[in-house]
Amino acid sequence: MDHRLYFVIGDLLANILVGLFVGWITWLLVSPGWNMWLAMVVMMVLGMVLAGLLFLPLGVFLGAMEVMIPTMLGGMLSGMVIGMWCAMAPLSGPAATALGGACGLLAIVAVWIANHSLRGSRSVLEGQSHGG
Amino acid sequence: MADESTRRKWDRAAKTFDLMAGRGAELRWKPFKEQLFAAMEGKILFLALGTGLDIQAFPPGRDITAIDISPNMLAQAQPRIAAYPGSIDARVMDVHHLEFADNSFDQIYTSCTFCSVPDPIAGLKSLRRVLKPGGQLAMFEHTGSRYYPFRPMMHFMTLLSERFGPAMNRDTVANVMAAGFQVKEVNNLFLDVVKTIKAVKP
Repeated sequence: MDHRLYFVIGDLLANILVGLFVGWITWLLVSPGWNMWLAMVVMMVLGMVLAGLLFLPLGVFLGAMEVMIPTMLGGMLSGMVIGMWCAMAPLSGPAATALGGACGLLAIVAVWIANHSLRGSRSVLEGQSHGG
Repeated sequence: MADESTRRKWDRAAKTFDLMAGRGAELRWKPFKEQLFAAMEGKILFLALGTGLDIQAFPPGRDITAIDISPNMLAQAQPRIAAYPGSIDARVMDVHHLEFADNSFDQIYTSCTFCSVPDPIAGLKSLRRVLKPGGQLAMFEHTGSRYYPFRPMMHFMTLLSERFGPAMNRDTVANVMAAGFQVKEVNNLFLDVVKTIKAVKP
């Protein structure tokens, strides 16, 4: 993770915001009549797409990849979890929105942890087997 | 002959390019770029200059030849070129068809470039041709990831992003090796996506 306070707070807020929004949209769209698996897949994809759109204004202030990747992960997670939940049982709007925010928070923490283990120099041999 | 569709794409992007790439991204990565560019010495080729955002990270007093495929991008870069305390010779040129003699440069630098070059291995081979034997290629690039769930996400994003800008899923380290360079160092800056790559021409 970037240890500068501007980016720590910015990344945190951006991801929570995207999670909240995707959670709320999912709650608006999915009702207990939906098939659980369909709700999960559709809202996972929609969550990722919505996050990809929301990233555009956030990226102006916080950078590109470092915002796009965690927000898309948070959008996916938020859409998937809340989509499944709303398809299985009634969930209030505030609860769905808050749960979305928690998914966004979880996503940025997961990316910080992944980043901590992946950052730094890699050997050339490892580079040869790289996907990137 | 230059790749006209790529030129048009970046000409269209020139006016709004700094809006997306200028503020947050440069604030985030300027210290890392300064560190990479600090080693600039000798005859230097910089690819692709774009609107000149990277110039602020160049060490002062260097003599740099810079190219970009887009005339509109270079037009936007003019104030930054003029303000640089050194020399920048900026030219419109396609990396696939470099108009330099073999073994012309001591070092070549790229910054977020090979996400956008249509044929990256051919482009890198072209760079190898103009780099002197033993010369260094230093790259600041974003690439695809080898890890789930980032890898499929980057593939998905590329379906959209490639239409108006860069690809998100390039395997640039492998491309550098496929072009005949010896990779000396890969330094991941964000996940295994944003990284610096240092390679030499054998």
